[in-house]
Amino acid sequence: MKNMMRKSLMVLAVGAAVTSLTAQAEITIGLAGPVTGPLAQYGDMQFTGAEMAIERINEQGGVNGEQLKGVKYDDACDPKQAVAVANQIVNDGVQFVVGHLCSSATQPASDIYAEEGILMITAASTSPAITEAGYETVFRTIGLDTMQGPVAGQYIAEQAKPENMAIIHDKQQYGEGIATGVRDTVEEAGIDVVLFEGITAGDKDFSSLISKLKRENVDFVYYGGYHPELGLLLRQSRELGFDAQFMGPEGVGNPDISKIAGEASEGLLVTLPQAFETDPDNADLVKAFEAKNQDPSGPFVMPAYTAVYLMAEGMKETESTDPYEVADYLHENTFDTPIGEVKYDEKGDLEEFNFVVYTWHADGTKTEAE
Amino acid sequence: MDELLYFLQQTINGLTIGSTYALIAIGYTMVYGIIGMINFAHGEIYMIGTYIAFIVITGLAMMGIDNTLFLIVAALLVSMIVASAHGFAVERVAYRPVRGSKRLIALISAIGMSIFLQNYMRLAQGSRDKAIPNLLPGGWEFGGKGFVVNLSYMQVIIFVVTLLSMGALALFISRSRLGRACRACSQDRGMANLLGINTDLVISMTFVIGAALAAVAGLLLGMYYGVVNPYIGFLAGLKAFTAAVLGGIGSIPGAMLGGLILGIAEALTGGYLSSEYKDVVAFGLLILILLFRPWGILGKPEVEKI
Repeated sequence: MKNMMRKSLMVLAVGAAVTSLTAQAEITIGLAGPVTGPLAQYGDMQFTGAEMAIERINEQGGVNGEQLKGVKYDDACDPKQAVAVANQIVNDGVQFVVGHLCSSATQPASDIYAEEGILMITAASTSPAITEAGYETVFRTIGLDTMQGPVAGQYIAEQAKPENMAIIHDKQQYGEGIATGVRDTVEEAGIDVVLFEGITAGDKDFSSLISKLKRENVDFVYYGGYHPELGLLLRQSRELGFDAQFMGPEGVGNPDISKIAGEASEGLLVTLPQAFETDPDNADLVKAFEAKNQDPSGPFVMPAYTAVYLMAEGMKETESTDPYEVADYLHENTFDTPIGEVKYDEKGDLEEFNFVVYTWHADGTKTEAE
Repeated sequence: MDELLYFLQQTINGLTIGSTYALIAIGYTMVYGIIGMINFAHGEIYMIGTYIAFIVITGLAMMGIDNTLFLIVAALLVSMIVASAHGFAVERVAYRPVRGSKRLIALISAIGMSIFLQNYMRLAQGSRDKAIPNLLPGGWEFGGKGFVVNLSYMQVIIFVVTLLSMGALALFISRSRLGRACRACSQDRGMANLLGINTDLVISMTFVIGAALAAVAGLLLGMYYGVVNPYIGFLAGLKAFTAAVLGGIGSIPGAMLGGLILGIAEALTGGYLSSEYKDVVAFGLLILILLFRPWGILGKPEVEKI
């Protein structure tokens, strides 16, 4: 008898949960990325872009009569926490996710989303491995390391023409991946890489590495990783009288690197997604950001905006909130978005995405490199 | 010749890192020597010291004071005082109430304290990296045509300040009245208490001294590396703890020696092998020492009292 009661109670509870889901007049979009931790400012870029898109779509009447709602989830760029966050998103019944940010966090989370049939669009993770599994519901609105590496490699081979080149990376999925890509491109172009070495993310002392670079007479250093380590590397290089040209991927392109390295960040080369905020088609959007005192120039702002926009388009056109239907629609169509024309291949990668080489300045600004 | 200069440069790099490990390691070793527990929150005290130094320097600089010496001395004094207060409070709040109980309980209390301090600083200061301007840029250069050895002013200051602090501490322990009480407590706390030594005071003082030295390390490293975030205490604490165990936990000269050995081992590994193996060598060294000389290089073998 007691058992019967428990069973019927459970059925009731499940029933209530299901109705509460369908009765929702809001479509929740999970915004997963680092709210805390040393990479939180990249998370801010992503949240700024996504929240702006949600706001603008809601102003225009929402999606199929329902309003969008963004809920932030903090993974601190930590793979372990990303899994916990992904499970929480599943438990919360969220079916659309913009995120995560760091490739090493996106990778394990994407497995969970694919399994649970959640549509995920990352606006920042560039590691090719994420879409390698060929999940149906996993997309990105940013290029791949395999696109960024060759841009950097080509620039090095054609413009910088170093005599002794070294490549340093932080042993993480993103950093090492991109460093390997650069190495392959420059070696093809006939440039010898005298040193290919990993450091530990979070390390503070690079003096022994810098002395080693000095001994090898290195005149060009490519760094695969994020800005906290490269900032220190630049600062200590200046201290120790090592004055090679440094270059890094979009993970270092952040005004904080100038705060850490000061004058030593002047002239750093950075590959970044094309500056979408200078595109005249986006003038209206840029004004909306500026009206809210937000900076639209971060590399992940427009991609995150686009991620939400694509989800909304898909839901509108298919008149459904079924992630699979939306995913199919995204796979089959071409979209005109703030990041340009979006067309997906079968893996969920953009067919085209431009990276551009910029020169960084000590005041935290950038100009296109020659 | 170039090879020799290169070796010299790496040794200088190692001595600098090692000195700071040693300064932090003192806190571990003193506390262990007297109450036989590992104060895992010590790395966090170092982190707090760095933050306070950062706040004082930027605060004074904003008021328009740009006398380098004044800035450094002010930052040093304030961060030592604030860090000492933290060290004192941590002992009162988290360790004294559980002092009579099993070792494991104090250890868990210490880990809890460490998590608390880290998050309390994160809430107060945010989790982003804060940058400290380099107050003393530049240095000396010497060497041949091929390889030039660089010795920055900060490296020299770090080494000298560490040596001076260690010397002062050694004098304090061996000559002063309180130092004698410290040694008595470390030999037999119960007996020292019976003979009229205020052991509570001695233990509090140990925490205060350890925290003050950690604040010195915090200021020096903050200025040298230029960044601080709430997570720096963990890795620094881990390395310093390794240094303390390496040199013989409970022994003050051991902490100095352990720190320097660890620093030089790391720099030479980075210089001749690969930076990827730095931590492998550092912790491998620890395992070797624990296998063959569990009491450390300068420690004394512990006789289990029955």
